[in-house]
Amino acid sequence: MKRDTERKITVEDLLRLKRAERPQDDFWATFEAEIRSKQLSAIVSRRPWWDRFSWILAAVSRRQLSLGSAAAVALAFAGYRYVGAHQEAVAAPQAVAAKPVAAAVAVAAPTPAAPAPAAPQLVRAAAPREDAELAAEEAAPAAGPVVISTASHITQAPAAAAADGATRAPFADGIAITLADFREPSSDFARPAVFGSDREFETSMATAHQPLSQEPLATMDPAAERRARLLAPALGTTRAVVSDWMRQRASSDERMYESMDRGSNDDRMLVGFRF
Amino acid sequence: MNASKTLEKTLVASPERMVEADADLAVVRKVQAGDVAAFDRLILKYRERVLGIVYNMTSNREDAADLAQDAFIKAFQSIHRFQGQASFFTWLYRIAVNSTLSHLRKNRLRSFFSLESVREDDPVSRELIDALTDKTGAGRDAFVRELQEKLNDAMQKLSINHRTVVTLFEIDGLSHQEIAEVMECSVGTVRSRLHYAKQLLQAELQPYLLK
Repeated sequence: MKRDTERKITVEDLLRLKRAERPQDDFWATFEAEIRSKQLSAIVSRRPWWDRFSWILAAVSRRQLSLGSAAAVALAFAGYRYVGAHQEAVAAPQAVAAKPVAAAVAVAAPTPAAPAPAAPQLVRAAAPREDAELAAEEAAPAAGPVVISTASHITQAPAAAAADGATRAPFADGIAITLADFREPSSDFARPAVFGSDREFETSMATAHQPLSQEPLATMDPAAERRARLLAPALGTTRAVVSDWMRQRASSDERMYESMDRGSNDDRMLVGFRF
Repeated sequence: MNASKTLEKTLVASPERMVEADADLAVVRKVQAGDVAAFDRLILKYRERVLGIVYNMTSNREDAADLAQDAFIKAFQSIHRFQGQASFFTWLYRIAVNSTLSHLRKNRLRSFFSLESVREDDPVSRELIDALTDKTGAGRDAFVRELQEKLNDAMQKLSINHRTVVTLFEIDGLSHQEIAEVMECSVGTVRSRLHYAKQLLQAELQPYLLK
């Protein structure tokens, strides 16, 4: 080893020697072939389903946001939502109880001459809507436009629903749409087979159960029937009637015979009838 | 070059790197648009540097080849996620370094070194070897081999993070800022690790340092 040059050699110089460590030229041919096959297999092979969501983890780690803090934020948000909903549910009946009934009626039933508000106004009126709904429910017997009577709701409710658009509740809209469908002749509700109200149902059932004007047994003359049956072979006109009667009787006997269940249990025979 | 310019060079990326990054981004956009063959240009451009990083971190040329290939395949598979916020080579280096770190942590107990040959066509390395050995001496090759092994031993005595910083700074020539981006740490951490690693290497390679 010759060290007569007296040149200062540092760690950096020695490490620079490692830059000169390079593979032979034929190495790159093998490298390229291998990477080509891996690239093709990567194109062909299907990636696992969870790999689609790996960008979420990458984004979280890139922003150095720990999973624990993310979970804490999610829990805090869920807790806030839960507590807020619970407080609203507790506070709503108290607010309705404290609100004067007269004011509620005024909100629920505005003047009919007022024009129907547009959709943006409905959006702006969304905040007091809940109170208006509850007040309208309380004031329903006195206010009138809320559907109570089955006799008049078909004609009155859509007009009332159109008039009180500003304080209309979502379910009131649904009722109005349903009633409008009902009024259309082509709708399913307007068919005779579909009952629109309890009253229609009762009416149709009443017609079905209407008592007959004459009882069939009351019109039957046993003597005349017996005479006709006995004279049937002699009378050609009544032959058909008698033969029908005989056929019906025979068929009823056959049915009864077929309906019997026979079974034997050693020394006993069981006979049952199916009805 | 005064101290401030030296510091600036180590802290920020050079203008050449910026131009290079723009050219890479154009190629990446082609790959993202479906031109798979355009990725070959990126492979040809960076394969030696990626292999050099991985080799100097593992000191095993077979592992280095596999890890470098895996790094390119991972980059190819994830190319649609590359947004261009960092330069492509920083992104590619990060993939390669993370793959290598993961490999080294899994195979911590395994130490099998296989060395590449030193190319003496590089003037810097030839000058260095000439300074260290007798130019016409018969033991020149043996000395170079011995020096390689000593260098690799010293590198492997460093921790994985220190070794990575030394590799990226001293061998691959990245700036502190680029290393911080690749290793996802602060510039101060990079400088601290580099200083500590050089102290250790100096102690290990003391017989080869001429005063």
